[in-house]
Amino acid sequence: MQTQSTLWTTPWLRPFNDVVAIDDLLTQVHATWSLARIKARVLAVVDETADTKTFVLRPNRNWPGFRAGQHVGVEIEIDGVRHQRRYSLSSAPSARRVIAITVKRQPGGKVSSWLHDRVHAGDVVGLGPPAGTFTLPTPRPERLLMVSAGSGITPLMAMLRDLAASPALDVVFVHVARRPDDAIFAAELTRLAASRPGLTVHHHHSAERGRFDAATLAALVPDHAERTAFLCGPAGFMTTIRTHFATRGLADRLHEESFGAPSGATPGADAGTLEVRCARSERLFDAAADVPLLVAAEQAGLRPRYGCRMGICHTCSCVKRTGTVENVLTGEISSEPGERIQLCISRPRTELTLEL
Amino acid sequence: MRLTAAETEAFGTELDALRNEIRADLGERDAAHIRRVVRIARGSAIAGRSLLMFGIDPITWTFGVGALATAKILENMEIGHNVMHGQYDWMNDPTLDSQTYEWDNVCDSGHWRRYHNYEHHTYTNILGRDRDVGYGLMRISREQYWHPKHLVQPISNVILATLFQWGVGLHGLDPTRAFKSKIGRARMRKESGAFLRKAGRQLAKDYMLFPALALGNAPRVLLGNLAANVIRNVWTNVIIFCGHFPEGARVYTREETRNESRGDWYLRQLQGSANIEGSSLFHVLTGHLSHQIEHHLFPDLPAHRYAEIAPRVQAICAKYGLPYNTGSFWEQYGSVLKKLFVYALPDRAAEPHGAAPLPA
Repeated sequence: MQTQSTLWTTPWLRPFNDVVAIDDLLTQVHATWSLARIKARVLAVVDETADTKTFVLRPNRNWPGFRAGQHVGVEIEIDGVRHQRRYSLSSAPSARRVIAITVKRQPGGKVSSWLHDRVHAGDVVGLGPPAGTFTLPTPRPERLLMVSAGSGITPLMAMLRDLAASPALDVVFVHVARRPDDAIFAAELTRLAASRPGLTVHHHHSAERGRFDAATLAALVPDHAERTAFLCGPAGFMTTIRTHFATRGLADRLHEESFGAPSGATPGADAGTLEVRCARSERLFDAAADVPLLVAAEQAGLRPRYGCRMGICHTCSCVKRTGTVENVLTGEISSEPGERIQLCISRPRTELTLEL
Repeated sequence: MRLTAAETEAFGTELDALRNEIRADLGERDAAHIRRVVRIARGSAIAGRSLLMFGIDPITWTFGVGALATAKILENMEIGHNVMHGQYDWMNDPTLDSQTYEWDNVCDSGHWRRYHNYEHHTYTNILGRDRDVGYGLMRISREQYWHPKHLVQPISNVILATLFQWGVGLHGLDPTRAFKSKIGRARMRKESGAFLRKAGRQLAKDYMLFPALALGNAPRVLLGNLAANVIRNVWTNVIIFCGHFPEGARVYTREETRNESRGDWYLRQLQGSANIEGSSLFHVLTGHLSHQIEHHLFPDLPAHRYAEIAPRVQAICAKYGLPYNTGSFWEQYGSVLKKLFVYALPDRAAEPHGAAPLPA
């Protein structure tokens, strides 16, 4: 990755263009000042449901704006370790200086728990640039269907808020939650539906009315096949709806975003082989679960850099984007996305994506 | 002192357990330490360069040089060297990332990672594999072959110390091998680009950019930067020489280290290294290389932890009857100087490899 050299990056002007040092100094003066990094002050923390909170943020000037449906990386430091998670933005992009993310507390989730328990109005969090292609197409489709379940509502809420001001609104919004208490943004949806004639909102509470499936959708929204659909929710729910659209030949009308734990399967020691994806070289190989990744990569014909092959020198160290590995020397488990691992002493516990 | 294979394994297991214990305990305290040192080094650099640039008298010049030298020493030793070992990779902080960090001296950090982190730390003190044994210039153990160049090593030592960053930078190109073989020359050609680029940038910064900004004060700044670089050079050289060259630190042959177990590797790291005693300020200024033993046992644990685990390492060594080489700075450096003189001369035929002297 060769980026163009600018005054800010050329090594010949060191230390005057040392952005990291200058940023550190700026941060001492004011917590959200930075030349390069996006930082945001927490303006408010709003309880949406018992396990979901909205964080209203004011980002600094490095925030480039976003499109409804996109997500953003939230960076926090817990006990010296930097963690990043991506959360969908739930606010309308038109309010440029104020954004919001809505976060559901994950059972055992380090970052979501930290955000819920430790982050209060006035705190500052680091953000990554917004990303994601789950956005409204231009020109905007005339008739829309939005189907969400659980915290999958967040990107769709951003879209709905974005659309709410437009006069030619024709949206059917279906939200699935277990119980009325679990429905995020329920009050606002009801309010919007009452004031916007073009918006119809259906709540489906699966604890009372059973699993939401294709038949339920067809009953609630008879004209769903004529609408451009946006779908976001847990994997099983998404599969049900996706299959329905696909079998009716409507796959190209369906836009979707999945969220939650990627490749949640965590096989034990007898896993046999696991798939390893190399993000840089765009290669894929199968790694035996009992062989160090360096050896597995070499057997697959890759040539990662290496040195000592015994965990000392870190020459083979590589960023693991997703998945879990075990350190063969210490038994330590690394499941945090973005952690550096040493290929020569790591064996896979799940499918992996490596920056290799 | 020989341990059985079982004892060696038990020794290694105890050290592994100690390593895992510290590794599991890493957190906020370690992050705060390294960030604090980074800030002190930056502040010291700003203070030093400002004093040199805006002062006019010899007193501010002296303080400026001192502050800049301190900044360079901290950056090279406590930050650069340790970060590049991967000691802070667990923080996931891209500014403290072992594979992308670039330090403030003429040695290309890619070269350093290869010949220091990999070659020196894996093959520590193995003759013919660890080029840090005498750096291709000095004879610091009887087991090394004598060469006429060693006659002048008390003098070449002084020159090397003064120009140490250049020694370190060129070391990455493996000049000794380049003289001897075609492969060595090919490798030197391939690697010299990175070295020249890095060296050029460093020279431009200290001897062109900053003097130019000082306008009329240019000579003062240039001389100040030169002095700071020399102080850093001599300091790092002296500390590093105390790491593996004092009396009692062993060297190994390739044969001895074939089929080494993890316990054997730990043993070699222990017996090939030597510590220097001192205050905590002294330890930070050496990048904690004053705890060379702990550093060689656990090169990727945050170095400021070495002082607190040293007593435990010492206790484990005592339990297995192993030597733990430590002493004051002057004891250790004195014994290095002594070796530089003693081994400058070829061995008397009478004393092959430390055998008892022949009767007269």
